[in-house]
Amino acid sequence: MASTLASATRRVLGSRRRGTRDTTRPSDNPADAALVDDLIEAVGADRVRADTAARYLASRDASIYRDGNAGPVCYPGSTSDVVACIKVASRHGRAVSPRGAGTGLAGGAAPLGQPVVLSMTRMDKLLELDLDNGVAWVQPGMVNLDLTRALAPYGVHYAPDPSSQAACTIGGNVANNSGGPHCLAYGVTSAHVLAVEVVLSDASVVTLGDLTAEPVGYDLRGAFVGSEGMCGIATAVAVRLTPNPSAVQTMLLSFGDVSDAAATVSAIIAAGIVPAAIEMLDQRCVVAVEDFAQAGYPRDAAAVLLVEVDGATGGVAIASEKVAAIAWSHQAMNVHTAADEAERARLWKGRKSAFGAVANVMPDYYLHDTVVPRTRLVEVLERIYEIVERYDLMVLNVFHAGDGNLHPILAYDSRVPGTEERVHAAGREIIEMSLDMGGALSGEHGIGVEKRDHMARMFSEVDLEQQNRLRASFDPYCRMNPGKVMPSAHSCSDIAALRASDASGVWG
Amino acid sequence: MHLGLNDDELVACVSCGLCLPHCPTFVITGRDTESPRGRIALMRAVQNEGAPVTDDVIRSMETCVQCRGCETACPSAVPFGHLMEGTRAALAGAGRITPRWQRWALRMLRHRRLLLAGSTLLAAAIRLRLVPTRRLGLPARMPLRRPPLRTSGDDVWLFTGCVMDAWQRDVHLAVQRVLEAAGVGVEPTGAAAPCCGALHIHAGLEADTLAMAREVMAGLSGDDRPILVDAAGCGAALKDYGHLLGTDEARAFSARVYDVHEWLAQHADELVSRRQATPLDVTVAVQDPCHLRHVQRTHQSVAEVLRPFVGNVVTLDDDGLCCGAGGAYSVMEPELSRAIRERKTAAVARSGASVVASANPGCSLHLAAAGLDVRHPLELVDEALSQTDHLQAHGR
Repeated sequence: MASTLASATRRVLGSRRRGTRDTTRPSDNPADAALVDDLIEAVGADRVRADTAARYLASRDASIYRDGNAGPVCYPGSTSDVVACIKVASRHGRAVSPRGAGTGLAGGAAPLGQPVVLSMTRMDKLLELDLDNGVAWVQPGMVNLDLTRALAPYGVHYAPDPSSQAACTIGGNVANNSGGPHCLAYGVTSAHVLAVEVVLSDASVVTLGDLTAEPVGYDLRGAFVGSEGMCGIATAVAVRLTPNPSAVQTMLLSFGDVSDAAATVSAIIAAGIVPAAIEMLDQRCVVAVEDFAQAGYPRDAAAVLLVEVDGATGGVAIASEKVAAIAWSHQAMNVHTAADEAERARLWKGRKSAFGAVANVMPDYYLHDTVVPRTRLVEVLERIYEIVERYDLMVLNVFHAGDGNLHPILAYDSRVPGTEERVHAAGREIIEMSLDMGGALSGEHGIGVEKRDHMARMFSEVDLEQQNRLRASFDPYCRMNPGKVMPSAHSCSDIAALRASDASGVWG
Repeated sequence: MHLGLNDDELVACVSCGLCLPHCPTFVITGRDTESPRGRIALMRAVQNEGAPVTDDVIRSMETCVQCRGCETACPSAVPFGHLMEGTRAALAGAGRITPRWQRWALRMLRHRRLLLAGSTLLAAAIRLRLVPTRRLGLPARMPLRRPPLRTSGDDVWLFTGCVMDAWQRDVHLAVQRVLEAAGVGVEPTGAAAPCCGALHIHAGLEADTLAMAREVMAGLSGDDRPILVDAAGCGAALKDYGHLLGTDEARAFSARVYDVHEWLAQHADELVSRRQATPLDVTVAVQDPCHLRHVQRTHQSVAEVLRPFVGNVVTLDDDGLCCGAGGAYSVMEPELSRAIRERKTAAVARSGASVVASANPGCSLHLAAAGLDVRHPLELVDEALSQTDHLQAHGR
């Protein structure tokens, strides 16, 4: 009787026990059946998804670009899985697009032309820790903050800290050469990646860069970092470990005039102080942040600066005194130093929740990422206000003031007809204005598809041609993340590689 | 298919992805289909873009533990719980999820006598080894007899609920003794409030939940005594009646509901000053039930109440990631549920604690099934109090 009851229960529940059933579903796109079969044979059924739901979600990232169109999605667990996927894809004449956490803001992870998507989230391990030499080998799917947390017991950290660091992956950081508030003093991702193991488009595995101080030959590692997945798939990354500073001081400077705040930034740098971070928020952003996070920013200030100095205890004290003196001499309304770790965390929480605060005001936002010469910040800001007003939109400004990296956030509601067109038009003007001021297209978010067509505005024909030749030397057939960065007229056979993208998208 | 979701709530998600590391199923699978952001995108595709409700869309929704860890991580304050409950209600309404046998089993919970008798039968069957307990995620031993509930005063209600009363009445009695030690007269709700409906709303059975909410409110009306709850899942459900029913009466009812630790933390002085207690000589890891941490957001009070009564209280280093219990989830999705639990047991091992304090019966059953020594926080307080009494009675 015992076994009867048990097996009866099992029968009832058995129908609901589906475990990995979903992963073995055939492709919802019959044309891909052979490709999917081969991928499953190569890496196993639990590492391949080809149903519409999985493809739909792999078609998008955190940008507002929505025309991505993914083919089958693979979840490799090792370098050899990546090699196997690339071989199968290339046998079927299909491109490959890598994907980390999908937190990118430029559509870099939005696949074009139904490539095989390699979702790297399962390759999330810390492979090797060499404290003596200050190096760790990590897999590309490891989350940025997880790495820093894993390093915490050893008194070191991974310095680049994008705002999305709680979710974004090291692989995505390498692809975009990501920055973050603390990159002012420490440098962006490129300064923290010593070597990369890469699977190239012909499925060969190479290591670019090495761990010695003076590598021999051309810096191919440098060419790879920031290549947005177009030169190959990173499968292991050697990152530099940065010792934790012994002292940190975070200051909030508030100003009645934006130009005083901007002048303070320039004066701090000119005085030879290199703070770990200098962030600026304009009044509209301060108000939104205060409504949302109550970080203690003064609502009546035209602009606030969040300045962090770190290093040895004595040096930090001197540097923060100098910063305060510079601020006072530039008509600061107030200079406030965080009294303890809790207050420090609160001040940073305000800065880091800026995007969330915007979402509280409007359901959509379009974020720009241009870089302008620091000395022209005030002028640029005024132009941005003027442009946005003309298009009847709302803008909040938050930026890495230390290196002139702007993040004007256009907040809007896409449900209101015609709004998206106005947002795009205003965005275009902001980009062109920034370039006219001697700036650059992107500070840290990458070009992706979103800014691809502005490349010709920034680079000459010759420049673009040379960039294309560099890319082709890695990937002659444009099989790696095709359709990104290079404007269409310059992207070798990308267009041929992009199968006629059907407008109906994944569900069609 | 229109899922009946509020469009403003649905568009609030900006797809930033900051929820990803806080989602137990994404952390385990690494797949966007098993992430909060992905689930919301699919809800939008279905409701606004006419996407078909494929089996994979259903699967994406069914694998959600409904821990709501994504809500506390979300900078845009997207009410994910409401969206998921609404989606499940629509899917259950269309007969796409929650098959008939499940609906039948869940409806049982409302019938207290039947449930108590059934539990006794189940307890006997388990002793006779007729039930594959491990496979079903059931406790290896369940009580055959239950000491009766008794009323000691009319200061507060103690919500006793359904399964917890049938399977873990000892916990209710310990909680009651602790409240009495703080000088509080307790009336257990017993038959007055059979079941809160938490499992039903999670399964998409909206009509059942509404009926049960009305039943509970009617049973506890007539006064404005605080309603204390020692199960985090039930407390979260009772506190949500205001939103669920949308009436002033329901909102007033929800305002009376407290997690028992939340309430005790506000009355901590009374408990500590009335009774001396020698702390238990154990290291206790506090496991934050999701519905205490992410929904009621009052998890801090557990450690606060516990601290004077045990030698060492440690917090886990996993950011309150779900344990995988999820009410009936551990039975419905055993593989995912166990994979999620492994992360929790690893965090407990790292903490060096020998005892885990969990303020939710689902979590405690699920973690105990992994071999951990799991106690309700107030059981530990009760033990410290009675141990002290015992020592004093013997003149030591």
